[in-house]
Amino acid sequence: MNRLLVIFLTLLVSSVFAHTNEHASLGEQASSIKASGKVFHESVSIIRKMHPEFLRHKRDKTLRQGVRTDEYSLKGCVSCHANKDKTNNQYHSVDKKGQFCSDCHEQVSVSLDCFSCHRTTPKEDSL
Amino acid sequence: MNKTLNRRDFIKTTSATTIGVVTVASGITLTTFASTNKVPVTNEKRWGMLIDTNKLTEADIDGMVSACQKEQGWGSELHSTGSQKPGWIKKVKVKDKATGKVSNLALMCQHCEEPPCVDVCPTNASMKREDGIVLVDKHLCIGCRYCMMACPYDARSFVHETLSNQKEHMPRGKGTVESCTMCVHKVDKGEVPACVTSVNSDAVIFGDLYDASSKINQTLKTVQSAQIRADLNLNTGVRYSGI
Ligand code: SF4
Ligand code: SF4
Repeated sequence: MNRLLVIFLTLLVSSVFAHTNEHASLGEQASSIKASGKVFHESVSIIRKMHPEFLRHKRDKTLRQGVRTDEYSLKGCVSCHANKDKTNNQYHSVDKKGQFCSDCHEQVSVSLDCFSCHRTTPKEDSL
Repeated sequence: MNKTLNRRDFIKTTSATTIGVVTVASGITLTTFASTNKVPVTNEKRWGMLIDTNKLTEADIDGMVSACQKEQGWGSELHSTGSQKPGWIKKVKVKDKATGKVSNLALMCQHCEEPPCVDVCPTNASMKREDGIVLVDKHLCIGCRYCMMACPYDARSFVHETLSNQKEHMPRGKGTVESCTMCVHKVDKGEVPACVTSVNSDAVIFGDLYDASSKINQTLKTVQSAQIRADLNLNTGVRYSGI
């Protein structure tokens, strides 16, 4: 059973890697951070694997204890990984097909529930 | 060494790595953003509001409602019918039958110390923070609406339709319950709730009920004030004078 789990996880993670290595829509800010050689997520493999746990931990701390740091905040993820439409200068929703969040989730068949409540583009622009 | 990783080892190793990353990453993110509020709230404070119905005009209350809508992003639901539409804060008229005196109240979640909404919630989604602010954890809310039935103030709403373009600080979504958060996202930054700032007079005072030097504490010591349905013994954080 455990062996199977390890094999499954390896397959899962490696398929994510295989996919995201050719990922085109990393997001504008994220791409420029990457291009500048700066490190934002110390280990890409850990943030890839652990991001649901980081977010869950952070959400409980924020909501229940009022600890409002930017680290692992979903707002931060969205603002960094969002792309703008070049023609109308509006942000694409990060959960739309071809965008950073949905691309990966679709590839591994994991549903993406955060954005039924959370805003899908950075800050309030057109409200 | 046994090469297969059991569940426990997996959790152990990953959490050890996680701690490492947290330490490094905090250094990195700090250079990118300024962080706020690292310390959990405590029960040394209790946030509350005092609403003086003699000073509060009807226009003030309308202003409070629209300030709340603007701040939190509710009120423009297109597909919900009248009774389905959310109402985090309402204008309520009360009449003293004996004297005929009519008072206008701004009624929102009263942030009860003993909240019935929290008592009945089967999933712990309805919760009270240490500092007295009552919230709905939408990650846990299953939309059963027991809390709405339990609340004596009709303070809670249910979201009936798919939403988009929510406020960044106020996630809202179909199938969950919501109510006044006492603008917790502002309070945590040391700011005052939106409805309170919208009133130009001192008809609404916000502050820490426990702090003897706060304006709300001092005012409550000197003026007559009441809790709505005080007979329920909920010890509300929102209080009224002039009724
Ligand atoms: S007013 Fe209603 S929703 Fe608010 S804490 Fe009291 S019971 Fe809960
Ligand atoms: S405190 Fe904030 S959420 Fe509550 S009624 Fe006032 S504006 Fe609305």
